[in-house]
Formats: sequence, C-alpha cells, structure tokens
Amino acid sequence: MGNSYSFPFLCEWATEMDLSLAENLREWAENEVMARRLELKEDYEGLLEPAIRKLFLEIGLQRLFWPEEYGGDGHNLPSAAVTATAALEQVARGDVGIAFLLSCLLALQSAVAMEGEVKEEICSALQEIITSKDDPALVSLVLPLYRDEPQATARAAKGGWTVEAASARPLACGASASFFGVLCALEGSEDGVGLLVLPGGTKGLKRGEAIKRTGLAVDRHAEVTLEKVKVSEGMCAARGPEACRAFLAWLYMGISASNVGALFASYEILREWGDNRVIKGRGNIFKENPLTASVMAEVAQDTALSRMLTWNLARMLSEPGVYGPAGAEDNYVTALMVAHHVSQAAERAINRSMEMMASAGYAKEWNLERYWRDVKTMQLCLGPYELAKMDVSRFFYHASGL
Amino acid sequence: MRTIDDFTRPLEYLSPLDDPLGMIVREWAETWVIPHRRRFDEDWKEHRLIEPAFKRLMGELGLQRVLFPEDLGGWGLGRSNYAGTSSYRLFEEVARADSGMAVAFGVVFWPLVMICMEPHVNRQLCEEFAPIFCSTTEPRFAANAMTEPQGGADIENMEIVKGSTIQTTAVLDGDEWVINGHKLWPTNSGGVCDLFGVVCTTNPGSEDPNDFAFIFVPADTPGVTQGPPYEKAGMAADKNGDIWFENVRVPKHYRAHGPGLDLLYFKEVITFGNLGSIAFVGGSMMNVYERLYQFVSEETYRGKPLKEHDAVAGALADIARDIEIIRIVGYQYARMVDRPDLYGPRWSEEMVAKGRAYKYWACDRAVEDVGRAMNIMSLYGADRDWDVEKHWRDLKIVQLWMGGKQLCQAEVARWFFDCRTL
Ligand SMILES: Cc1cc2nc3c(=O)[nH]c(=O)nc-3n(C[C@H](O)[C@H](O)[C@H](O)COP(=O)(O)OP(=O)(O)OC[C@H]3O[C@@H](n4cnc5c(N)ncnc54)[C@H](O)[C@@H]3O)c2cc1C
Repeated sequence: MGNSYSFPFLCEWATEMDLSLAENLREWAENEVMARRLELKEDYEGLLEPAIRKLFLEIGLQRLFWPEEYGGDGHNLPSAAVTATAALEQVARGDVGIAFLLSCLLALQSAVAMEGEVKEEICSALQEIITSKDDPALVSLVLPLYRDEPQATARAAKGGWTVEAASARPLACGASASFFGVLCALEGSEDGVGLLVLPGGTKGLKRGEAIKRTGLAVDRHAEVTLEKVKVSEGMCAARGPEACRAFLAWLYMGISASNVGALFASYEILREWGDNRVIKGRGNIFKENPLTASVMAEVAQDTALSRMLTWNLARMLSEPGVYGPAGAEDNYVTALMVAHHVSQAAERAINRSMEMMASAGYAKEWNLERYWRDVKTMQLCLGPYELAKMDVSRFFYHASGL
Repeated sequence: MRTIDDFTRPLEYLSPLDDPLGMIVREWAETWVIPHRRRFDEDWKEHRLIEPAFKRLMGELGLQRVLFPEDLGGWGLGRSNYAGTSSYRLFEEVARADSGMAVAFGVVFWPLVMICMEPHVNRQLCEEFAPIFCSTTEPRFAANAMTEPQGGADIENMEIVKGSTIQTTAVLDGDEWVINGHKLWPTNSGGVCDLFGVVCTTNPGSEDPNDFAFIFVPADTPGVTQGPPYEKAGMAADKNGDIWFENVRVPKHYRAHGPGLDLLYFKEVITFGNLGSIAFVGGSMMNVYERLYQFVSEETYRGKPLKEHDAVAGALADIARDIEIIRIVGYQYARMVDRPDLYGPRWSEEMVAKGRAYKYWACDRAVEDVGRAMNIMSLYGADRDWDVEKHWRDLKIVQLWMGGKQLCQAEVARWFFDCRTL
C-alpha cells in the first residue's frame, strides 16, 4: 500500500487478497484519477464517470461483496469489513466522492447480502443492477437528517408497505441512483424503523432538480419525493433498530475509511510541499522549520490515529463472534464515534495542511482543496455532531431520556 | 427578532460615515449581490455577473474614490481620523454579501494607503493617479503585488528576512525605474488591474531597508503582462493571476517615498491588510449568522425548532459569541488605526503585531465556526442555496493570505515575548 504504509495499521487482520486488492486500487487511483485531474479537474464526463465505471464494472467492486448465487464474487462474509476498509482507503485517495458512493453500496450490501442472512427478494431484484456490465450500481440512501427522525414513513399495506417522503434529501445520487435504500419510520409496527429497498424506476418515486454542493463532484445530487410508493415486505433490508444500526455501522466504517484515504492524499501533497518549499529566506527547507513541523506533526498524527481507529472498527465488524453483532448498541456507538472523530480529524488535518501551503493549498491546481471540500461534504452525511453526541451519552451514561 | 445589527459596535467611536455608508452598501448588497451570488462560482473567469455589481458600488456610488483628497475628486478619507472605522464598516457590509467582492474592493485602496494617508500623502502621485479612480463611473482596480513564486510569507516577513528574498528588481536608469520580475496571486490581478503597487528591491539579496522599493506601475505600461485568473476553492469575485514585468519603465517619482520610508509605510499597508481581513471575516460571519438563524428556526427536531435543542443551542451560542467578539476586536483595531496619537503610528511593529494577532484569531474562529454551522445544518450545510458553504470556502483564504498563520504567530511572539531569531 505504498506510501501509506508509513501510517500503521494492524496488517495481521488483512488477508493477502485484501492487500493485493488495495495495491490494484492504488494503481487505479493513480492512473484513472490522479494522472488526469490536473487537466480535467472534477469534470464528471471526462474524469469521474470513466473512473467509476472502471472501478465498479471492470475491476468489479460492485460485485465483490455480492453473493455468488446472485452473480457476484461471493466475498459476503463479515470479514469483508476489512477488505472494504483496505479498498476504500485507496479509492478515496484518488477520489473521495467515488469512495463515498462505494461506501453507500457496501453498507447496503452488508444488510442484504451477508452470507446466512441473504435477503432473497432484494438480491433477485438487484441482481441485474449489480451484475450489469454497462452501468455502475449507484445507491441513494435516504437516512434521517437529524439523528433518529427518518425522512420517510412506511405504512403497512397488503403484503408490504406504502412509503411517503416529501422532498427527502438522500446522502447522494438522488438524480442518478439505480436503486434507493430508504430508512423509514414503520408506522404501526413495533419494530419502529426499517430500511426499504426501492429500484430506481419504482412508481411514485420522483427525483428533483440537481443541487449544487460543496464537494463530492461525482455525486449527482437531488432530492427525492416518494408518493404512495408500494414496496413489498420482502424488500425490507433491515427491520428494527438493531438491524438498521448494523447497516449504519457499516456505512460509518466506509465513511471513516474514505476519510483516511483523503488524509493519505493530503499527506502526500503536503509532504511534497514540505520537501521542496523554502521559507524564511534561502536554504531553509519548509519541513525543517520547527513551527511548521509542529503543525505537520499534527497532520500526521490525525492521519495515523484515524487509520488505527478505522481498522479497529473494521476488525470489530468483521468478527461478530468476538465483538457481537454489528448492530449491537455498543458496536453502533463505537462506529458512530469513530466516524465523527475521523471525519473531524480529516477536516482539521486538511484545514491545517492548507495553512501550510497557503495559496497553493487554496488553488485547484494543487488538488488539496478538493479533499477539503469532499471530506466536509461527506462529514455532513453523518448528520449534526451535536445530535450524534446524544447517542454516545445515552449509551455511556444510561441517559435514556436523550 | 434579533438581527445582525444586534452585534455590538462601539457606539462612542463610530465615524460619522459609519451608518450612512453602511446602509448604502447594505442596500447595494441586497440588490446587486445577494440575489445573484449563488451563480458567482461559475462566473470566476468572466465576471459577467460580478462586474455590474462592482460597477454600481465602485464606479456609480463612487466608493472607489474615498481615499483620495476631496480636491482631486475623492472623499478625503485618507486625511480624516476615521479611515479605519469607516473602512471597517464598509468592508464588513460588502463581505456580508460576498467576501471575494470585499477583498477586490478593499484592495483598490491597499497600495493607495502608501500615498493617500496622512501624514505621508504623496500629493504628486495622488494627482497623477486620482483621475484613474475619480473621473469615471466604471470600476477601476488597483493591486498590491508582493507575493512571488518562491514565496509570499518571506516578503512580508520584514523583521527577519528583511526583503532579501525579493526577486523583482528596480534599477534606476536616468529618470526612470526599470522593473523586472514575476509576481503572482495579487488580488485584482488576473487581467482586471489598472494600477499596480509593486514591491521591488533595488539591490537583490540585500537586507538593507533602503533597498526596499514600492513602485507604482500603471497596468497598461509596456512590458507588463497579466496572466489569466487562477481557479480557486472560493472567492470567485477576486481574480488572482501572474504578472510579469519585463523591462517595464516608469518615471522615477513613481516610487512611493524613497529609501527607508517605503519600507516604513509599507508596514502600514500590512496593518490595513489585517484590519480588512478581520472585517471580511466579521462580515461573512454576520451573514452566516443570518442564514443559520433562519435554518435553525425553520428546521425542526422532535417537534421543536432545531435551535430549541439544548445541545444545538450550545453550539449556536459559541458561534454568536465569536461573531460578537470578532466585531468588538475588529472595531477596536480600527479605532487604534484611527488614533495614532494614542496608539502609536500605524506602521509600528506593535500595530502590525497586534493586527496579526487579531487577524489570525478571527480567522481561526471563523473557519471553525462556519464548519460547525455547516455541520448543524446536516446535509443542507453543503448546499450552495444555503450560502453558508460559500462563506466557508471563501473565508479559508483569509486565514492563508498575507503570509499565513505561522507568520502571524512569529510576529506576535516576537513582539510580545521579545523573541530575536524567529
Ligand atoms: C484570494 C487571494 C488573494 C491574495 N491577495 C494577494 C495580494 O493582494 N497581494 C499579494 O501580494 N499576494 C496576495 N495573495 C497571496 C498570499 O498573500 C500568499 O499566498 C501568502 O502571503 C503566502 O505566500 P505563499 O502562498 O507564497 O506561501 P509561502 O510563503 O510559501 O508560505 C506557506 C506557509 O509557510 C509557512 N511559513 C511562512 N513563513 C514562515 C515562517 N517565517 N515561519 C514559520 N512558517 C512560515 C506558513 O504556514 C505559510 O502559510 C493572495 C492569495 C489569494 C489566494
């Protein structure tokens, strides 16, 4: 894993296959994105779309975690958490937005395709999308904007659900998704919440106008409205708090790994700057200045610790026999904390890297600023930190009123 | 309902222009900028949308003239004792709408500080350059060209590096300066500049203050080439590019003041840069407050407006606290600028160091606070339509420019702790 080896991770948890996949993805990042972005910037048609096609379709990451019996590569065990982390780090190093879309897909696959818990109706419905040779499988997740308040409601109807949501805001891909994962308040059900899967062409699903955002240029962002959308019972990917939390824990792991990849990329850009820039008159190499070196140390520290936390989270999710199910409250809270911590570390570290590079950090030409915009945009997909902390306190201090 | 006007201003030392000008600019912002600013990012190169707003503010309302003496068509601000406080308010109001516009507007005056401010008015140069700005209703831009490819911070790090890294040279040939060099990044470059103030050396590698030269160069002088603007994370309304000076000849008297004095008064330019930066930050934060106020009042969580959730309110309080303090600190610094009789000359090491301290404090708070505001807004925080993300992208550069935070730290430590080698 090239330069990023300098940042420790518990390599004993990674298989040969994980490491070689990461190495291949490192090349993908370099050849498909980094080599061409000076010229193409964040151009969707010219750069990002071809890169995502190569990754999802040719390299086949959209099939990797999909059950063999539904045409996938069958890597659908909890250990896929480690594989996903190793992969997402490298993908995000090239482009955070693409890694984020992959994180969303993997999280949904964790809910529907895990060996022993395969949701047959959903896997059948999605098989064509996931095994397509022509179109990347893009999932749009509609999750609560504010902690525990879903944007959509589902009412029990004959053999299934009727889903409603007005101008709901998905995490990504409202305009371009091949299918949707909608976390709904299940009205009249003791389970309370459920994750329903809707193919893109479902009747009553309307996509809004394109929305301009700070970062994640690969995302065709738009609101979605669901009007009396009928979903059969079998399209429920996760039912009840624990199952939904498991899905979220996987998503948070993906977001954390994507942040780590962004941190690697920023570190590399900053390192090149530190090696070559001269400050305080002639002959004083940037990285040798104690004042800047102390900031650079914090950037490296944020990167290293973020990686360690993320790998630990991946390990926990990959070993339910040791740590309990992914959706257990303690695992969920860990995932939530790691994701917020790592995404704040990424924001802080890239902010500080920009400080080091001054105008160069702010210019598109140097590419640092795109990681800054991307990690911030991705952070917002976690919802407000102030509300997330309520879950943490609720768990650690038994504050059940929160 | 609270508004931005509830943030405290020091009423006892507001300039007579503060409110009248503030209201004129606010109206301009509401009409000419705020309805259009969401499309400014795509307009970074052409300025088709941005240019009319500049024309209105600077040319038609005449605000590009304010620093020049009245008898030359200006408003005489440079000779008043309220240049600091009134420009603070002006910049704050413009930045509330768009801090990129505030910078472009503010920098018009930046090099002119060298020649228009009492007690060092250069009457001859004022007479020569006033018509560029005062006899037209078209917007006219000046730029302060300091930064060079090898580094901007060193050029501003006068106390230690002493101008020894400046590579743009000025050689006297008879009655003319011959200027050669390459500058980059100045605000109002990228093709829009009419008049450059250029930081040069008359003796490359020298640490002698007498060799620092500040020379005015009209942009249409033969040998001056402006490159196209750079693409940046934000601040679309400010164009920044390369400028090449190849055997550019200007009259000898275009040097602002001469050996020693150029460097002395250039430090006042830095003081105004810091003052402007605080105002840009403060103005942007005012608008962040307005947009956030609306958001947290309209969006609900558990049946109540988001702002009524105690934990969210805690974060909102932190943001409001910082805006309040930024404004108080900014106005205080403006007052210090206005009263050299009490606080010492604007070019003193003390004024520069204190300005750097306030500036980098304000920038640090703002970058963190606007990031927090975006976070409170959940997915909407990244929306162009909510404007907060724009301020987040725009403000970041205020923290980075003028030598960056570390230069600020070095100067502050040097002054307050008598450091000798930083
Ligand atoms: C929108 C915008 C507007 C601008 N406007 C102008 C303008 O009007 N005029 C102009 O001349 N320039 C302007 N600039 C350029 C800007 O002021 C410079 O980028 C800035 O001064 C830093 O210079 P640099 O980018 O060359 O970085 P460097 O000088 O290489 O500095 C990079 C970093 O090195 C560190 N550093 C520098 N010196 C020291 C030190 N002594 N000790 C410890 N650390 C140090 C700091 O972290 C600094 O951020 C503008 C830039 C932008 C993006």
